[in-house]
Amino acid sequence: MSKTDDLRWVTQLTLLGDKSAFDKLTCKYQSPIRRFFLNLTMGDAPLSDDLAQETFIKAYLNINAFKGISGFSTWLYRIAYNVFYDSVRAQKHYADLDEHVVDCQHQTQNDFSAEKLDIYKAIKQLRREEQTAVLLFYIEDRTQNEIARIMNCPLGTVKTYLLKGKEKLNVYLTQAGYGN
Amino acid sequence: MFTSHKPVMETKDADKLLKDFFGEHKQEIQDNGFTRRVMRKLPEQADRSWIVWCFAFVGMVLSLMLGFSSGSLQAAISYLLQIPIYYLVGVIFCFPLVSTAGLLLAGNRRF
Repeated sequence: MSKTDDLRWVTQLTLLGDKSAFDKLTCKYQSPIRRFFLNLTMGDAPLSDDLAQETFIKAYLNINAFKGISGFSTWLYRIAYNVFYDSVRAQKHYADLDEHVVDCQHQTQNDFSAEKLDIYKAIKQLRREEQTAVLLFYIEDRTQNEIARIMNCPLGTVKTYLLKGKEKLNVYLTQAGYGN
Repeated sequence: MFTSHKPVMETKDADKLLKDFFGEHKQEIQDNGFTRRVMRKLPEQADRSWIVWCFAFVGMVLSLMLGFSSGSLQAAISYLLQIPIYYLVGVIFCFPLVSTAGLLLAGNRRF
């Protein structure tokens, strides 16, 4: 399914109010958006699902604001990014999570928890902006330009986030034995 | 933050290491009713399909008016009247078959 499908579904929704078109968009993007939140919240599945739900509802309510300049997925990630940072500002929730708590949450909430711990430990080495940039670049396969649009910052800043993130992760992963 | 015991890798290797690491940990999340829950929470919006019908009606009226004023509609009708009625009936009956076959072909290509 291509970007043309996205545009067709967005047009059906905006012009005709066709809800089934949004159902298709949600179905297509639920996995990447939920995965993005899952990594940002260090594996808190219920919280990431709540945030993803909020993202899709906001997208639905503001669909008329989508101008089609960037792709629908970039626009959706931008909303997701804002939802996440609004949530962080409101709760200051994730900063207090330590690895033990995360570990416990994984064991009870996720089937894939054991293998996922390494990635959360690695991500925790980074500052929040670096985490976002690195996750978007390496996991969500976004380009640097798209990340700049999603994070609403200059391209140079994104490059700096990625460079610093890479440096920190390399040191961490090498020490954890991944480079061998 | 860390005291490095090993020399840091070259940029190319470092990039590959990160790509491999994140590639290994990339997962697809099953829907498990998520889309249904989102759709249930969406607020109701007014049905705007009337816009399509409205535009279709205006377009039809305009084309009829233009057809009549230019005389092309009368010419088309007189041309149709010259065609034997059996041919017209044949075309009308064939139309659903041909269009269904076309739709099926288009559908097969797409999926």
